[in-house]
Amino acid sequence: MSTPGPERVPSTVKVDKTSGQGKPPARPAKASSSRPAAAKKAAAGGGKARKPITPVKVSGGRSWGPIAVGALVAAVALGIIGWGVFAVVGSEKEKSTPWDERARAISGVVDYRTQYPELKQAANHKSGVLTYPVSPPVGGAHNPVWQNCMGDVYTAPIPKENAVHSLEHGAVWVTYKPGLDAAQIDTLKSKVEGKDYLFMSPYTGLDKNISLQGWGFQLKVDSASDPRIDEFIKAVRQNASMEPGAACSSGSTSTGDVPATTAS
Amino acid sequence: MTVSTEPGAEAPATAPATGVVPASRRRVHVLWLVVLLVFGLVAGGLGGYLLAQPRNPGDDSAEAGFLRDMSTHHAQAVEMSMIAHANSDNPAIVTLAGDIALTQHQQIGYMQAWLRDWGLSPTGTQPAMAWMPNSAGAVVNGLMPGMATPDQMAKLRTAKGTELDIQFLTLMRQHHLGGIHMAQELLALSKNKDVTWLAGTMVRGQQAELTVIDEMLKQLQAK
Repeated sequence: MSTPGPERVPSTVKVDKTSGQGKPPARPAKASSSRPAAAKKAAAGGGKARKPITPVKVSGGRSWGPIAVGALVAAVALGIIGWGVFAVVGSEKEKSTPWDERARAISGVVDYRTQYPELKQAANHKSGVLTYPVSPPVGGAHNPVWQNCMGDVYTAPIPKENAVHSLEHGAVWVTYKPGLDAAQIDTLKSKVEGKDYLFMSPYTGLDKNISLQGWGFQLKVDSASDPRIDEFIKAVRQNASMEPGAACSSGSTSTGDVPATTAS
Repeated sequence: MTVSTEPGAEAPATAPATGVVPASRRRVHVLWLVVLLVFGLVAGGLGGYLLAQPRNPGDDSAEAGFLRDMSTHHAQAVEMSMIAHANSDNPAIVTLAGDIALTQHQQIGYMQAWLRDWGLSPTGTQPAMAWMPNSAGAVVNGLMPGMATPDQMAKLRTAKGTELDIQFLTLMRQHHLGGIHMAQELLALSKNKDVTWLAGTMVRGQQAELTVIDEMLKQLQAK
């Protein structure tokens, strides 16, 4: 392998090749390895019959050296590989539950993406008042302008056509029955304010006290202290986005039921 | 090498004493091999464990908390900048606001991509700033240090002319101070190469921008 000076000269290499390439450097290695090989033969084949040959003891002991070293190396390698596999499998386990599965696992959550497969992708922009099959809407065609969803707390109803656009951007829209008691509204407010990809507003005609919606997903509950609210928000917020990276700012902050046509 | 000579040295010593050479010697060798194998497996496992140590930060790590909170903090800077960018008549403000909006929106992308790489949710259930020691009281009405209140944002949206420019610079000045503080806290807590790199650039970049903002405020208020 690492041949000293003279062997590197091209002419001598050529000469060597014709007579038998690589023989000179290989010799010392062969000499050392041939001893245990010969000893093995002696130990295995002639061990019983030829007692007087004393070198058997010496070489017999030596032959275990390489085996032990080999076994040690193999065991270390096995240990490293074993841990590597364990670590990879372990980390994959953490990642193994996708957000939509987690959302579906929350009791009471309705997955409208299964019912309306068009909700598995982004939808078109449409102006004017729109009608939706689900109330409050969870997706579909929407106004070109989105509702600002930077943790905005709207105290009056907002146009659903703008709100649906925010859902497409990954926001969770928290809605409550108009007239819900102040303590519950405050609890909801504390979950929303200051957090982007969240916004809340009263919603007329709700069949339950509180309804949360992300693009294609909905959860209706009776109490603001229901622990499923936080679970739903953690699973759906931003994850449900049809346009990853789309912002919640630069949206409309107007209330009412006429879809806003300009931002802020 | 030193380990392998030991069984060899022991074997010839026992062999002449008992007389039954191959059997006892084999037993000793097998024992040594088993010991070596067990030792090797433990050493290898330990080595592998140590090698695999630089795992990704977990759900409740300072890094994850920082990335989530700074994403939200940045998002408001983008919001303020987009308002100023759209409404200001001052070309210097339009340029600065555009610069801040584009930079911070892209940095949100970095931060969100790392959370996704680590298999973590983009958002957490812990209260804001929970990753920072002694952060109690730092969050007021859900707002992290330096963040503008809904009232301040509403005023900024309707402001015009020099009033808008001054409001924007004043709010952004506060926002940068809060952001720099958070980034410095992360730098003190984390050794993660990616996150500390980004946090370091935030500290330097926003400190440089503070100098610009202070200079512009001085000029505008002198008018």
